[in-house]
Amino acid sequence: MQPILKLDLTTGHTEEYHIPEKWEKDFLGGASLAARILYSTLTKELDPLSPESPLLFMMGPMTGTSGPTTGRFVICGKGPATGLWAESNIGGFWGPELRAAGYDGLWITGRASAPVYLWLNGSRLEIRSAAHLWGQNTYTTQDKVKEEVGEKSARVCVIGPAGEKQVLFASIMCDHGRMAGRTGMGAVMGSKNLKAIAVHGTNEIPVFDGTRYKALRSESNRKLRDDNEARVMREVGTAGAANYAEYLGAMPVKYYTSGSFPAVDEVSGAKMTDTILVGRSACQGCVIACGRVVKLPKDVSKRKGPEHETMVGFGANLLNDNLESIVDMGDLCDRYGMDTISTSNTIGLAFHLFEKGIITTEDTGGIELKWGDVDAIEQLVRMIGSREGIGDLLAQGSRLFGAHFGVEDEAVQVNGLEVAYHDPRGVSGMALSYATSPRGACHNQSDYFFVDWGHSNEEIGIEFLARHAQAEKAGNVARHQDWRSVDNAVVMCIFANVAPKEKVGLINAACGLDWSVADMMKFGERSWNLKRAINNRMGLNAQNDKLPKALLTPFPDGGSEGFVPDIEEMLISYYKHRGWDRETGKPSREKLLELGLDDMATDLWG
Amino acid sequence: MPAIFPSEEWLKGLEEKLNSDVRYGDIAKKWEGDLFFFIEPEGNLKEQLTFYLDLWHGKCRKVEYKPRPESYPNPVFTLTATYTNITALLTGQLNPMTAMMTSKLKVKGSMGYMMRNVPTVLDFVRVAQEVTQEIL
Repeated sequence: MQPILKLDLTTGHTEEYHIPEKWEKDFLGGASLAARILYSTLTKELDPLSPESPLLFMMGPMTGTSGPTTGRFVICGKGPATGLWAESNIGGFWGPELRAAGYDGLWITGRASAPVYLWLNGSRLEIRSAAHLWGQNTYTTQDKVKEEVGEKSARVCVIGPAGEKQVLFASIMCDHGRMAGRTGMGAVMGSKNLKAIAVHGTNEIPVFDGTRYKALRSESNRKLRDDNEARVMREVGTAGAANYAEYLGAMPVKYYTSGSFPAVDEVSGAKMTDTILVGRSACQGCVIACGRVVKLPKDVSKRKGPEHETMVGFGANLLNDNLESIVDMGDLCDRYGMDTISTSNTIGLAFHLFEKGIITTEDTGGIELKWGDVDAIEQLVRMIGSREGIGDLLAQGSRLFGAHFGVEDEAVQVNGLEVAYHDPRGVSGMALSYATSPRGACHNQSDYFFVDWGHSNEEIGIEFLARHAQAEKAGNVARHQDWRSVDNAVVMCIFANVAPKEKVGLINAACGLDWSVADMMKFGERSWNLKRAINNRMGLNAQNDKLPKALLTPFPDGGSEGFVPDIEEMLISYYKHRGWDRETGKPSREKLLELGLDDMATDLWG
Repeated sequence: MPAIFPSEEWLKGLEEKLNSDVRYGDIAKKWEGDLFFFIEPEGNLKEQLTFYLDLWHGKCRKVEYKPRPESYPNPVFTLTATYTNITALLTGQLNPMTAMMTSKLKVKGSMGYMMRNVPTVLDFVRVAQEVTQEIL
């Protein structure tokens, strides 16, 4: 692998960090390798927003190789809202550009004394003042930095005002609308006074066996182009399944209190395609092109359209059936640099508490929070992004917002990360996905809703079970988490329907390995357990594996009316499949040793 | 009405059932589109089989057994599956959504329209299963 460039922003000192050879094989790259590298740094005492806190931009062995959906990378550290392992996956072109500059990662610590941005041109790094950029939105910042460095093909990662103000769910954006949305890595970047990172490289991106890799990637991309799911994503975007999710009662409505949204036709990927879609966008080398480009009647130029989470978060979640306003809210969050899931979820909690009389206009600064009121939603988004008024409280996320008013249990979150918009009352596997994810209530560490919709994968033992099946699903979920851990290491998009045998062939060709599918799955299991061990060291235990009250309350309506997942039974079965200790929540010593995680076995068990 | 698959009798039975089934008629009331099926040979099916259905507003307007593709040059959807997979669908061993999501059933046509009408698709498969007495 290529080295990682390490930078201490306090001193300006740089050095090349060379990855131990054993780690390359055992942890491959992306989130898994980042977890191994940061393992000893991430302690319970570490303040995620302190200068000591690491921010690691980590590439995978296939990043930028034009393999199937492999333009991606991950940004890792300690989550400021969760206090746990944080990783955020992002596409675009920035990752490939960093690899072309000769690095497989950028590891930042310290804090600059004043706002700065980085300009990495090949192996030459400049730290430049960003005083004039502080306060600028994400789009403007990208344009200005690009203009200043004078290199047209430079790629730029940025934070917006929300990151500067350390909104706990601030995101990092690159290549215009591509976002590392979850876990607040934008706040960590802001805490370092780091506004942007521009990168340009001209090297060829290394793969172990180029000839073999090219042949495999060609075949894989060809299949992916014609794959049904890929065609759905391309044609109607990720929000294309909105109607189906609503039909199943798997789309949370009115802050997770209803499972029915009759207006779904008005706020779906299909509606967007029929009305305002003017183009599609793709990350580097991607044949799917799920990105939406839209133009509203009031617009003078084209802009990014919403994906599924933004569509539901600012749509059904807030009883808003106005598609154009959802485009606006997604755009506003992007400009401030905020995760649309956490933003809309936390706003949903505010509306919910307002309806219950727990907060009033005295708390909101006079704003009436009436469901579906687009003006009120927009005001809250702006107040969060600028941390003004009640926005300052909301900027801490739903857990702390709820706790402030004495109703933490009303917040639909797990371990400080807001639940995404795939309801486990409609697709029960998501109960375990949310409860056991290493980064809080995340839908991407295991997008098991796809399996519950019907996407089985028998080659790796993930069979199709009824969407309301309970504990019998636990082994399936564990295998799915391992499978996705492979993607997050490679780094490959979870929308790429690439068969296990094909995927392992690509990995072997790219990395010079001789893995079987079973080896690949064992690798995934190792990654999952490593992240668990990191979290155990930071204080996570079995009591953290839980669901919020709302998700254990039956929907009164819709396609999943009356059902709730039996999370206790599911967890008992899950722990057995995982080889985890039910009392402490730690992987057993035997399991850690079996996976070659000897150091972690010693740390957790003595 | 139930019949052996594949046969012309089965297809006629499906047409009849689609036109008499109240639940299908209601769920599919907005569906507008004809389907051309290719069943690829495998096992007991020795050569490619085709059939055609014209579905409109909860009714089946026309069926044809073993049509030539050029007879229907622009169907709204062209669906292709192996004999094994189509029979697994008809016997309930393969979930219709699994068939689509894993491309065991290849779909040519608007995926957006298909996703907007998943309940219709699922109920169409239910009706097809109900008229399948036996697999050849």
